Parts: sequence; C-alpha cells; structure tokens
Amino acid sequence: MKKRLLLVALLLAVIGGAVGLYFYNLKMPSMATQEADLEISASALYEAFDTDEHSANTRYLGKILAVQGQVRQAQVLPDGTIKVVLETGRDFGILCEFDPNTSHARTTFEPGETVTLKGECAGLNFDVLLSRCAVVEE
Amino acid sequence: MNVELNIHFARLREGKGGILLAQILRTNLKYQVTAMKKAWLMAATAYLLFATAHAQKFMTRDARISFLSEAPLEKIEAINKSGSAVLDAASGRMEWKVLIKNFLFEKKLMQEHFNENYMESDKYPNATFKGELVNAQEVNFGKDGTYNVRAKGKMTIHGVERDIEVPGKITVSGGKLEVMSNFKVACADYNISIPSVVRDNIAKEIAVRVEATLTPLTRPQ
Repeated sequence: MKKRLLLVALLLAVIGGAVGLYFYNLKMPSMATQEADLEISASALYEAFDTDEHSANTRYLGKILAVQGQVRQAQVLPDGTIKVVLETGRDFGILCEFDPNTSHARTTFEPGETVTLKGECAGLNFDVLLSRCAVVEE
Repeated sequence: MNVELNIHFARLREGKGGILLAQILRTNLKYQVTAMKKAWLMAATAYLLFATAHAQKFMTRDARISFLSEAPLEKIEAINKSGSAVLDAASGRMEWKVLIKNFLFEKKLMQEHFNENYMESDKYPNATFKGELVNAQEVNFGKDGTYNVRAKGKMTIHGVERDIEVPGKITVSGGKLEVMSNFKVACADYNISIPSVVRDNIAKEIAVRVEATLTPLTRPQ
C-alpha cells in the first residue's frame, strides 16, 4: 500500500515536472495562429493615441489589433526584419514590425496598397507600434 | 602675434591706411599678414561648415536595444528593433525611447514574466534616456571618423528616474551616425525586485547593448 502511494507520488512529480518543462520551453507563438482582439483603422488608432496617450494605452496596450490602412512605406532591415508603416494622414503612422516567428507569405509591399495587419499594440513612440505583425488574409 | 592682429584690425578700421602701415613694415611681416588673411579665411570657412554640420538633427526609429541576463542557471536575452533616438549635433543633446512590449524573447513564458512581473509594462510602457554627450565638442559630425563619447543624463525604467553616465562610440560615415553603447543596469536601482526563488535565474545586473544608425532629420513635406 505504502509502496503504491509512493509510486503514485513519484508519477505525479514526473508529470508535474514534464508539464512545467513543457510550458517553460514553449516558444513565442506565431502571430498567424493568434486571434485579433479588436479591429480598427490606422487613422482611428493613431488619433486615439494622439488625443490621449494614457487612455489609449489603457484601451489598446498588449491587445492584438487588426489594423487596416494604406501602406505609406515598407522596408526590410539588413537583418531581414520587415517594417511597414500604415498611413494615418498625419506626420507619424502605424509602424508594424513583422513577427520573426511567422513565415510570411508576403515580404514586399507597395506604397498605396490597402492591407490589414495584426500585431500586439506596444504603445506610442513617434508612431504607434504594433509588435510581431502578420498579414490578415481577406 | 599681437603685432599681426593689430595690423589686421588697423587695416579693417582705416581701410587703405592699413596698407600704408603694412608697407613700412619688414617684408617677412608682410608675408605673415598675408598668411594671417589666409588663416582668417580658412577659419571662417571651417566655422561655416562646422556651424552647418552642427545645426543638424539626427534620428532613427530602428534602434536595436538588446539585453542579456547571465545567471548561474539561466541565460536570458531579448531584443527590440524599434527604439527611437533624436540627437541634436549642435548641443549634443539626445533622447532615446523604447517600448517595453516590443522586446522579443525566444520563450513565451519569459516574455510574459518580463512584462507582467518585472517591468509592469501595462503601467510603464516605455523606457527613456534624456541627456547629452559630455564631449560633443570633440565630435565632428560633418567629417567621417570614429569618436569615443560619454553620455550623461536621466534614464527612466519601470517608472524610476536615475542619473547615469555611460560610454559609447559614434562613427560618422557618409553623413550618418552609427552609435554603439554597452552598459549595465542594476535591477534594484529601478525597483525591479527579483524573488529569491529565481535569484539564480536572473542576473542582478543586466548587460544592455545599443546599436543604431541615425540619419539626418528632414522635415516632412
């Protein structure tokens, strides 16, 4: 009886350890697999931050936003990171830094084309920054 | 030197009279006066170039800010590729800003703990440095070259503002500035407490690395 109890405890410890190790080693998920919390236009998102950064942070920070807008500028950094700026009609835009953990079907974008990109809202730094972005397929 | 200067000023004041004055001086002095004029012209040109170069502001929105925590049990690193920086060459003043939620980690749990438990990024979404180059006058922003610099100012992380001074390197190359800096940040200095159960997993001092290429700022049309 005592032996069986010990065996069960040991088994539970092993399972617990394995589960812990599994979660500990979990990689950042690809944005392609994540659902957007909110949909918003590029100009409305910028407007919200420009009007009141604090309340916009409360509303959008850490949320996955699907943002629709026109491409103002697209670039690929020397290390391969893709960055797309969406037009807001203002000096600064919505800067979308692409997710390194997603294999992107598209890596080039033309100025003027309309796209929907989803990413985690990281806040305002001149532009409103969306982190780990991926294209939302229509 | 005083003689030369006086002659120069006398010429300026008296117009042609100065030339008469110069004529009665020895020949070698006359050469010195000519040399002086050349020097003045060169100095004026250099000043103009210098002033133009110094009126320039430089900027980036692609600054790479990375950090490394090396503890006995674990090595943790993260990188942010969208830091911003503005540097005013005339005064040496500069401002850097980075959004905490854009630091990318390899592991999901690490990124979550970093944001929720340590940096509290919902409450403190960014980290900033506002300060100046201590030795800005030693940097010729208009000429290619590498300069060792020191930056002094206020660093704000986790809502805590502290005075810091860190070393760096600026390479002026083709009108752009390549900026590099490595420094340490002590978690305790910024009220970031590390629970004792993970004290062997997280370093007390985090090594921060800044790499950025600043380009001349042109106003939007």
